[in-house]
Amino acid sequence: MRLLWLSALACNGNAHALLNYPRFEEWQEDFEWLYHPLLPSTHTLAEVEEGIDGVEILLVDGTLEEGLVKNRLAYKQLFERYAVEAKYIVTVGTCATFGGIFAQGGEGRSGLHFSGERRHGFFDGFWEKTLSLPGCPVQPEVLAGTLSLLRSEEPLPLDTLHRPKYFYAHTVHDGCTRNEYFEYKIDEHRFGALEGCMFYEHGCQGTFTHGSCNKILWNGVHSKTRAGTPCMGCTEPDFPREGLWHTSKRMGIPARLPLGVPRRAYLSLAGIAKAFHIERLERPMMEDKRG
Amino acid sequence: MAEVRLELIEKIEGEAQVRYVYEKEQVDFAEILFLTGRGIEKILEGRDPWDALTITPRVCGICGHAHLIATVRALEECYADLKLSRKARTVRELTLAFELLQNHFKWFYLTILPLLDLEAPMRRVLEPSRILGEMIALLAGQYPHNSYAIPGGITGEITPVDLLGVRQRHRHLQKLFRRGVIDVDLELFVHCDRIEEMLKRAGDLPQAMQRILDRGWERLGRSHDRFIVFGQNDLFAAGKSIGTRLQKHLDLRYLRESAIEGSRARRVLYRGKSYETGPLARAMLLKTPLIREAHRRYGDSLFSRILARVCEIPRLLRYTEALIARIDLSEPAWIDPGPFPENAEGTGIVEAARGSLIHRLRVKEGKIASYRIVTPTQWNLGNGSRENPGIAQSALIGLHREDPAELVFKSFDVCSVCTTK
Repeated sequence: MRLLWLSALACNGNAHALLNYPRFEEWQEDFEWLYHPLLPSTHTLAEVEEGIDGVEILLVDGTLEEGLVKNRLAYKQLFERYAVEAKYIVTVGTCATFGGIFAQGGEGRSGLHFSGERRHGFFDGFWEKTLSLPGCPVQPEVLAGTLSLLRSEEPLPLDTLHRPKYFYAHTVHDGCTRNEYFEYKIDEHRFGALEGCMFYEHGCQGTFTHGSCNKILWNGVHSKTRAGTPCMGCTEPDFPREGLWHTSKRMGIPARLPLGVPRRAYLSLAGIAKAFHIERLERPMMEDKRG
Repeated sequence: MAEVRLELIEKIEGEAQVRYVYEKEQVDFAEILFLTGRGIEKILEGRDPWDALTITPRVCGICGHAHLIATVRALEECYADLKLSRKARTVRELTLAFELLQNHFKWFYLTILPLLDLEAPMRRVLEPSRILGEMIALLAGQYPHNSYAIPGGITGEITPVDLLGVRQRHRHLQKLFRRGVIDVDLELFVHCDRIEEMLKRAGDLPQAMQRILDRGWERLGRSHDRFIVFGQNDLFAAGKSIGTRLQKHLDLRYLRESAIEGSRARRVLYRGKSYETGPLARAMLLKTPLIREAHRRYGDSLFSRILARVCEIPRLLRYTEALIARIDLSEPAWIDPGPFPENAEGTGIVEAARGSLIHRLRVKEGKIASYRIVTPTQWNLGNGSRENPGIAQSALIGLHREDPAELVFKSFDVCSVCTTK
């Protein structure tokens, strides 16, 4: 299957992340890069501007900007030419999907179909064939996996933002090694420790962020939350919100609650969970009991 | 009659244009233009200082970790009395060095070899890159784009199991280096001062350097022969060097940035002069024997530049091995630095893969009032005037039509996205 990767205002993080895909070489045998910003490709960017044939999946990376010119042609013109022909369009990463970080850096910037949560409608004609793969960067397994599933024409259930549910139906919280501290409402957290949950004080958005970070581990080995870094909600339309390392609160309770959990239910549950005082979770995990 | 030609340079972490002015068959003048900008510095203004830890890695997909470390150093300088354990310091040094290694492999295999019409199997670049990503992730959560370095240390705790994973991969990486890049004992290679000795070995590096010699390109791409290094650690030495004349003392007050007409990049000068930064500069400051020898023969040419970059790999491998051995897991990973100061200034300096990276921020009433980033590519690629051209400009001027201008340009390992931050 032939792929064309067109970067707008990007950091190249998605392109580099893809190279970490554990089965990259085997995966790539099913695809041909008409253009990729790092990898050997069939065409040069100048040739892509002049016009090439055979695009099957168009990959859009980076934040779009009104009037953006890559070399000689406006990005919009380049995009539209290939979008018409492509069977699928995939927005790679949060910038291309929702606007992301760089949308905050200037006027007239957005994702392909969204400005944050709002559908702006500039490219509505292409909405039906677009898949959204947000993430900053998108996990290589998510990008490579989606492309392979499209190629083999497997049914790919999508959510309302067109994110494939196989990868985005879970929350980042699912599979976090700190989950017990969340479940039993142990609300103290100190950085530099294996223990504790960053939800209460340090801005962790894992319980309301769609993503597979703790299901499909990063680089096959770890995740941010397992390493004690709060989830920054990078797959969501409002990334990056302000005050990323602090939990904003309403009457002493985190203002944003786990996905779909009503405030009242949360409060009742929290009250009960706290009453348990699970001793095991109140002392260091690696305490040596021999001495 | 002068002829003007505008050329697109692609696959440099984005793109750039070079506007060549040919007089007869030679480049009479060249200007390097970056067409896009993202405004990261502006995005940071008004935000909580800690937000920078999340945002600045996203300057760049290939050297974002260097941006994170520069940010945390700048933030830490804002505190009057900040404590950092040796463990946290060492682990940060380690992940930063892993990123440098990854960059060096990627650049050599994806950028340089194709320009020399040399082919190597894709796994020679994919495997080390992937392993280095895993090594960073084991300590920092993920790669690219983590935010594990925070004022006072690192966000998580490291266990012996994590370190075991790092050590095993390190051993594997050394094997890959010897099997692919150059088959030589690391220790010996670091002290080697004979080009012929290097060329005799098996591997992609000797093959590449031999190809440059065979084509007679070894003296191309020479510039002002002025080098600068701001970062200082157990591996690199700060200072500047005019030719081989070293001067240790540098003062950031002499650093000046200015706009470039028609480009979104800013040039940067030290005491009014342009300097080359990056692996060649670092090797000149360290007096690395093999690179000093290349420089003696061919000057600050693409030969010296490419060799210097790849020869950082064995140095970094030895350095990271020593760092791993030095980690004392009984020390704290994080020491609470207390609340962030309401009004403060800080500077963070890092030796990134492509050279010195400098972050400076000012905090006013608890928010970022200004944030400035000076990237390595600004030093190397910033345009000057006809009378006083910049580093890469100067390397391009004088090239003949048949000369490999793209190779000269890319020998600096341009990072377009960093430049258009």
